[in-house]
Amino acid sequence: MEKAFLNQARLGEFLGILRLFGELHGPTVSHDGVAAFAALGDASALRLDYGRTQIPPKKYLIPFREELLQYRDGSYQESQTNAPDMVLFGLHPCDLDGIAYLDLVFLGDRPDPCYAARRAALTLIGISCEPDDFCFCNDSLETTACDLFLTSRGEGFEVAVLSARGGSIASAAKALLTRSQSALLPTRDASCPIPPQDPQLRFSGNPLWDSFAERCVSCGACSVCCPTCYCFDVREYPGLGGGGTRLREWDNCLFVTHGEVAGANFRGTRLERLRYRFLHKYCGFSPLEGMTSCVGCGRCKKVCPVQIDLRELIETGRQPAAELP
Amino acid sequence: MNRASSGIHTPFAATLIGSQALSADTALFRVAPEASALEALSRFVPGQFVQLSVPGAGEVPISPADLPGGDGTLELCVRRVGHVTGLLHTLPAGSELGLRGPFGTGFPIREMAGRPVLLLAGGLGIAPLRSLLFHLLRESRDFGEVTLMYGAREPKLMLFREELAALAARRRLRLYLTVDFAPQEPAGNFSCAVGLLPDLLKGFSFDAQGSYVAVCGPPALYRCLAGELEGAGVEAERIFLSLERRMRCGIGRCCHCAVGQKLCCTDGPVFRLSELKQIPEAL
Repeated sequence: MEKAFLNQARLGEFLGILRLFGELHGPTVSHDGVAAFAALGDASALRLDYGRTQIPPKKYLIPFREELLQYRDGSYQESQTNAPDMVLFGLHPCDLDGIAYLDLVFLGDRPDPCYAARRAALTLIGISCEPDDFCFCNDSLETTACDLFLTSRGEGFEVAVLSARGGSIASAAKALLTRSQSALLPTRDASCPIPPQDPQLRFSGNPLWDSFAERCVSCGACSVCCPTCYCFDVREYPGLGGGGTRLREWDNCLFVTHGEVAGANFRGTRLERLRYRFLHKYCGFSPLEGMTSCVGCGRCKKVCPVQIDLRELIETGRQPAAELP
Repeated sequence: MNRASSGIHTPFAATLIGSQALSADTALFRVAPEASALEALSRFVPGQFVQLSVPGAGEVPISPADLPGGDGTLELCVRRVGHVTGLLHTLPAGSELGLRGPFGTGFPIREMAGRPVLLLAGGLGIAPLRSLLFHLLRESRDFGEVTLMYGAREPKLMLFREELAALAARRRLRLYLTVDFAPQEPAGNFSCAVGLLPDLLKGFSFDAQGSYVAVCGPPALYRCLAGELEGAGVEAERIFLSLERRMRCGIGRCCHCAVGQKLCCTDGPVFRLSELKQIPEAL
C-alpha cells in the first residue's frame, strides 16, 4: 500500500485540492456546541478534535425524507435524485464501517437507485481518532472502507491511498505530500470487541431487559443517531391539483407504530421493541443474518436520556445462565 | 444530476376493471396491469403478494385471490381498513392504479405435488387460499384430495360462499364451512356448521401423515390450529402459514416486517410452522 505524509501546515492547501473533487464537508461544531458534519465553506470551521457528531454521516446517503415517485398524467414516475459530487472529510473508522454496512443493505440484491446515485458521488476521507469513554468499537487504528485514510502522526498525517479515486486525489495533491518515514503502523487493541451475539439472548429472562423496558421512553434517539439504523417508512401525499408524491422517510423501531398491522401490533410493548432493535443490531436480519451492525461509535449510549446501555446485557449474556442474578 | 434508472420503486400502471362487494367492508377488485407487468406475474405462486398503489393514497401489500396472468388480469380481495384501502373502495371502474411484484415466497406447490392438501382459512384469510385452491383444482391430477375448511364470524361475512359451494359440487373438493355464531338469517342454499375452526378440525378425520396443510387467517387462529394439527399427527414441516406484517418496500429493506431474523416480504409471507416455532414472537 502506497503511503505518503501530509504535514499539518499543508492541511489547508490539501482541503483546497479536495474541493476540486466535490463540495467539501467535514466535522464542525455549531454555535450551541453540537458536533455535526456540515459544508466547510470556510476551512476554519473544520474541527478535527471532535469526538463524534450527533447525527452520523448516513444523512448524506439516506436523507431524512426523500421523494421517490411523482404521480402525474396517469402514471408514477421516478423522481430525480440530486446527487452532486461531495467529499466527506474527517470520518472516524466507526462511521466508515457504518457506511460500509449501509452499502451492503442498499447496494446488494436489487440496488436502491437513490442510494447508489448518492454513494457514487461521495468521496470518503477517514481520519484516525482517540477513543473516549463512550467508544467501544473494535477497529484497529485505521480502516480501508474509504478512499483515503489519514493517520495522525507527529507533525501531520500519514496518508493511505485505498481506492482509484483516492489515488487521483493523491496525484492532484502530489506537491503537498512527502514520503512517509515510518514503514509499520502501530495498531490499537480492540478494547471491547462486539462479536455476533446469540439471537436467543433477546428472550432471556435477564432482569436487565425489564429494567431497560421500564426506563425506556420510546424516544427513538438511539436509532436516529445510529450510523447503521436505516429502516424507513413510505408515505404518499395527494397533490391539490391531482396526482401525488411518494416519499420515503426515516422510521424508528422504538416507535409504537412500527409493528402495527391492520387490527394488531406485533411489537406493542417497549420490551418487545427493545428486543427487536437488539436483534437487528447484534444478530442481523435476512439476508445479513448473523452480522453485527453495531460499529461501537457510542452514540446510542451518549444520547439515551435514561442511560440504557445494551452492552451491559451483552456482558451479562456472556455469563453462564446459573450466574445470572 | 443523476436519473435513477432502476425501477424497483416504480409500479407498473394498472387499471381497475371493476369490483364486486363480498361483504359490508370487503370487495373483490379486478385489476388489469399494463402488458409489461405480465411477464413477472406469469411467475406468480399462490401465497405471494403484490404491492397495490392507489395514486394519492399509497401502497398496500395484497395477496392475489386468483391465479393472475392468464387473461391479463388479477383479482384482489380487499377489506376497507385504512386510508389506502378506503380510497380504493370509492374508485369507479376505469380508475388508474399501480402494481409492483409479485414478491415473497408463496406456498410450496411443487413440494405438495401428489399429496392431499388441507386448506384452513379464517375470515379474510380465504383470499390467498382461494388462489392456492384454484391452482390445486386446475392441476388436480398432480395433487391428492383437496379439502377446504373455512371459518367466518357470521354467515354474512363468509366470502365467496356461492362460488365455493359450486366448486364443491362440480370438482374434487371437500368443503366444510363454519361460522362462530349464526344470528337469524335465511340459510339460502349453503349449509354450514356453527363453531370455531379448531373445533371443526377436531371432528375431522384425514390423512395426517401424508397431508400438506396451508393456513391463512388471524394470528389467534394460528396459535389454536398449530396445536390442533400437530396433535392430529401432522408434522410441523408440512404445515404452512401465511403471516401478515406491514410490508412497506416488498424487497427486504424497510425492516417493518421482520419475523425473528427472517423478513416476511422476502423469506415469507408463507412460512413453515417448524421454522416459526423457533421464533417466539412469530405467531
